[in-house]
Amino acid sequence: MNPEDVRTKLAAAGAPGIISIEPFEGVAARVKFDPTAATALFPIVRDALGFPHLSMVGGIDWVERYEVFYLVWSDPAKTYLLLSADLDAKAPHIETASACWPSANWHEREAWELVGIQFDHHPDLRHLLMPDGYQFHPLQRAFKLHEPEDLEVKVRHV
Amino acid sequence: MSTPGPAVASVAKPAAAVVGPGGELPIVSSDVSFVEIETLRSREFIPEAKEALSALVKEQAEGKLIRPVFNWAGRNSLFPLHWGLACCAIEFAAAFGARWDAERFGVVPRSSPRQCDLLIVNGTVTWKVAHKLIALYEQMPEPKWVIAMGNCATGGGPFRTAYSVVPGVDKLVPVDVYIAGCPPRPEALLDGILRLEALIRERGA
Ligand code: SF4
Repeated sequence: MNPEDVRTKLAAAGAPGIISIEPFEGVAARVKFDPTAATALFPIVRDALGFPHLSMVGGIDWVERYEVFYLVWSDPAKTYLLLSADLDAKAPHIETASACWPSANWHEREAWELVGIQFDHHPDLRHLLMPDGYQFHPLQRAFKLHEPEDLEVKVRHV
Repeated sequence: MSTPGPAVASVAKPAAAVVGPGGELPIVSSDVSFVEIETLRSREFIPEAKEALSALVKEQAEGKLIRPVFNWAGRNSLFPLHWGLACCAIEFAAAFGARWDAERFGVVPRSSPRQCDLLIVNGTVTWKVAHKLIALYEQMPEPKWVIAMGNCATGGGPFRTAYSVVPGVDKLVPVDVYIAGCPPRPEALLDGILRLEALIRERGA
């Protein structure tokens, strides 16, 4: 599968919100899409393009914008496809993919807690790797590593 | 207790010489133990034992006897909790294997904190697991001790400034012995345990 195939199939299925389709190292193509079209686009990628397995969801803080990306796998085509969307730097949010690919659930929890991307209508957006009540999103560029001496240790009694 | 009792006569002596593969072996004077057993069984023993026991109880009431005995027994049979956190746990495991055999010091890992008196924190403690560590510590019966094994448990180690790591387990539980190293060798862990034993001897259980 190459970017041209992806373009043809997406167009045939009437996929909304496609911004660009480019070749990308190691995957069939990199599809940039408009985050507001996410809910309509995900089922088309899963069913019409045949990518039923979501391998990972990640987020990147590019300072002037956020990027969220989805790596999906097709077993018959033996290839990955990369979906990515640029999000607003002030309030990055996108519709959850867990309604379409249930495996997105924990990946989105991780992307939310570490990068601070809000996933709307996520069934269970809780902390995954950090304890409950953790205040920061440590993989944001603005996050400063603390010195242990500055740390105020509050331990919930169990 | 070598008092010859009436039973001595009935003790059968072993054969005059035992010939082993290396030649003639010296005869162990085996009657002594027989005599002791027979004496223990004798009626004279009961008042003697009563007297000794009441002395024990008296000393115990004054706190003279039981404490040292308890201290001695406790420090020679430290039961650490059998849990592993990170790479240091590999060395922890090796210390209890055949080569270093920590059990010869009476150190036997137990799987339930209710049976333990020693918590060896052997690895990186993250904030996520901090509550569990405190829960385990509080489930252990008194008296109890903590060894911080390795740089991570001592002060966060290579992850000291990381967002997810507790910079030193002494922020969570009181630590008695710190062992440096990344990871410390099993010998260092054994040394730490022996130092803890010395500490218990000094401070009391
Ligand atoms: S001190 Fe070193 S070996 Fe031990 S847990 Fe930390 S990183 Fe691993």
